[in-house]
Amino acid sequence: MSPETISAQFDVYRYDPSDGTPPHYQRYTLELTPHTPVLTALLRIRAELDPTLSLRYSCRSAICGSCAMQVNSKSRLACETHVGPEMERHGRVVVEPMRNQPVLRDLVVDQAPFWTQYDRIEPHLKLDPAHPMPEGKTTMMTPEQVDRFKETPRCIACAACFSACPAVEADPAFPGPMALAKLYRFVVDPRDGAHQDRLVRIQPNGLWLCLRCHLCTEACPKDVRPSERIRDLKEMAIAAQGATENGSRHVVGFKDNIVDGGLLNEMKLVRQTYGTFGMLGQVVQGLRIWRKKPEVIHKPHKIQGAEELARIYDALDTDAEAPK
Amino acid sequence: MLRHEVVIVGAGLAGQRAALAAVQAGRDVAVVTKLHPLRSHSGAAQGGINAAVGAEDSVDTHIYDTVKGSDYLGDQDAIEFFCREAGPTVVEMEHFGTIFSRSPDGALARRAFGGAGFPRTIYAADRTGLALLQALWERLSTERFTLYQEWDLTQVVVRDRRVQGIIAYDRHRGEFEEIAAKSVVIATGPAGRIYGRTTNAHSCTGDGLACAYDAGAYLKDMEFVQFHPTALLESGILITEGARGEGGILKNASGERFMTRYAPHVLELASRDVVSRAIVTEVAEGRGLSGPYGGYVHLELMHLGKEKVESRLQEICDYCRRFAGIDPVSEPIPVYPGQHYMMGGVGTNIHGETNVAGLYAVGEAACVSIHGANRLGGNSLLETLVFGKEAGGAAAKYALSAPATTLHATDLEPATAPMRAWSSRTEGEDPSTLRDEMQQTMDRYAGIYRTEADLLEGLRRIQVVKARFERVRVVDHSKVFNLNLTDAIEVGHMLELAEVILVGAYARTESRGAHSRVDFPKRDDVRWMKHTLAQKTREGPNLSYAPVAYTRWDPKERVY
Repeated sequence: MSPETISAQFDVYRYDPSDGTPPHYQRYTLELTPHTPVLTALLRIRAELDPTLSLRYSCRSAICGSCAMQVNSKSRLACETHVGPEMERHGRVVVEPMRNQPVLRDLVVDQAPFWTQYDRIEPHLKLDPAHPMPEGKTTMMTPEQVDRFKETPRCIACAACFSACPAVEADPAFPGPMALAKLYRFVVDPRDGAHQDRLVRIQPNGLWLCLRCHLCTEACPKDVRPSERIRDLKEMAIAAQGATENGSRHVVGFKDNIVDGGLLNEMKLVRQTYGTFGMLGQVVQGLRIWRKKPEVIHKPHKIQGAEELARIYDALDTDAEAPK
Repeated sequence: MLRHEVVIVGAGLAGQRAALAAVQAGRDVAVVTKLHPLRSHSGAAQGGINAAVGAEDSVDTHIYDTVKGSDYLGDQDAIEFFCREAGPTVVEMEHFGTIFSRSPDGALARRAFGGAGFPRTIYAADRTGLALLQALWERLSTERFTLYQEWDLTQVVVRDRRVQGIIAYDRHRGEFEEIAAKSVVIATGPAGRIYGRTTNAHSCTGDGLACAYDAGAYLKDMEFVQFHPTALLESGILITEGARGEGGILKNASGERFMTRYAPHVLELASRDVVSRAIVTEVAEGRGLSGPYGGYVHLELMHLGKEKVESRLQEICDYCRRFAGIDPVSEPIPVYPGQHYMMGGVGTNIHGETNVAGLYAVGEAACVSIHGANRLGGNSLLETLVFGKEAGGAAAKYALSAPATTLHATDLEPATAPMRAWSSRTEGEDPSTLRDEMQQTMDRYAGIYRTEADLLEGLRRIQVVKARFERVRVVDHSKVFNLNLTDAIEVGHMLELAEVILVGAYARTESRGAHSRVDFPKRDDVRWMKHTLAQKTREGPNLSYAPVAYTRWDPKERVY
């Protein structure tokens, strides 16, 4: 806890729709200790240099989820991101509003896209009328059942994952990592009576749009690991409904390809994913790829050791089915 | 002008529970909050919620512990009601979907907390507030009501001795708006940001308290301010009492477990006021540690083992590692008391009713009073839910029979003229400078140990800051998220409340619970077994007193 200070430079995104000037970056310099959180620095800027800087913040202890923003291009909570390491790595601290949500002013974004997706998964317990809550007493739930929630109860809805997610950017229909982690929370809740329905309904324009890049898990300040829960949901969705969506057929087809010959057969995979008719829609794209890289459309054959791969899959499948 | 039957201001646990009750009673309900409901400060509550559900425990023991913890200033009839409702309240929250920690048999897990005769604090790891807030919001969201999000309360309008509605500032559009209502429930939480060294969120600025006070409601027992023994040094972030409940111990600079001298029977699990005074005394008498952020003591968890610390105190591990750069599994945590809770608030009965018709208050913004002079850990989450339900129900019932409001669109202009004038000044006082001076004054002159001289000096300084606030200037002229303006609104509210705390503390010439007068070190049941009531006048707070309600427990000396 050394009180030694450094001089830190902040380049802060500024935008005010009511003054007519286009978005720009404003530079502020502060003397502070390396351990100072970015939020504390922004509040000092407001108090000492510029009271017009606007942002959301409240608890300053990473539990209210208000102060998510881009710090040196990463979606972070400003309250728990320290200035020293940012200065060491980047030589300055660039502070910008979160992505994938329209900017209202400075660092404040319109969170409607995020909350709309949250609402879409119907985030509340749905009881099975055949299994009402026990009258006047709590349900029983073992610590093992509580463990099945994984880290999802820690979610503070800060939207850092939503900001970091390229699938959200590519397709606004995608619910985003937080909503899906929230869905997982209900699908593993023994009190919820709509597991099957939830798993079926999240698939069209939902679950399978995830790109599996894990940027949400990297961005999450509470270690909720949304991408791992999305993976779990995908497994549960296939178990609940079979491979009935383009996304799930693609996953299952991919695996079947590997088990078959240890090699991805793009032609076959396209047919498995989209069906024979659907495949016609991919013809133009396929021809384009073929012209550039004819080798992708290869003659099906087995690679050396393909049987070994099939055995590994077999062992994994047996393992997954075994009670834990 | 907007119009609803019941307006609830604040969307933490108390406000949400009140809203649910009012909606279920069939009223047209609006919830006004300056945050998103899930960002409310209820979510920062860590340790747990009390309910005497264990076989060895009893409601009577919970009542007795709460009465004793209150240093006999709590109203015993209210405390009896409160403790009886604990069990059903926890069951209801579990049915709403709260993910509580469980014991191996599948029942709710319980941990020990300060001042409690049995382990009766039910918890969700060390994020109980968040777990409850999520579940209640999930439940409430299935109902129909109107949410005004990121709106700041600026006035509770009272005319003909009756509530007519509120005026609030919409941060998104930069406009003041009237919301006509037959009943208004104040659920805006505490005003901890009156102090600089506080565990409270930046948003805890007592807006509802100040507006209720301005509207003629009594503020009750405001001099009783709880300082949590273990706030993280420098940042003031809360380290839950659950850390001591799980076996954490306090040590001074020479490694002595000093609580053996202050509370030989229960040690670190004495009541919060007792532990806070012990820490301050250790540091003041030179037995504490010291560093660039002042004196402190050590909270040790190392002996509990990595597994227990990381599973039961997961958030605490994160706080220590991320905010203080220390690992509680292998290092002691530097702690010092910080402002944490206000036992006082808008005076109400158990139905949340105030002395103003149509005005209700609940949660930390209210004073029922069940906490008296000192609140027990685990009782505030319970309070928000038990009395949220009561206040919401009572406000809904009142709205059903109340006459139409007389709030008029033409009322808005004169009511908001002073605030709009802040922006047209070419010179004046900066709101954040005034806030800093208020916080420094309260930290220095109205802290854990108080004297007549300090309180008078504090009052003099606060009155100077209040006078300067008359010339406050807002330099940001934007219509969108103008924090410079909302800062000014908040500082104005807090200054009123700071004055009430100081005046009440100066008048109360005894030591009781969290109010420790060095010049009057003994509890004085003959003269001071009474509630302080402060009413706003042109000349400042006017104090009167009200009796404490007794049922079964005679005052005894409080030993832990």
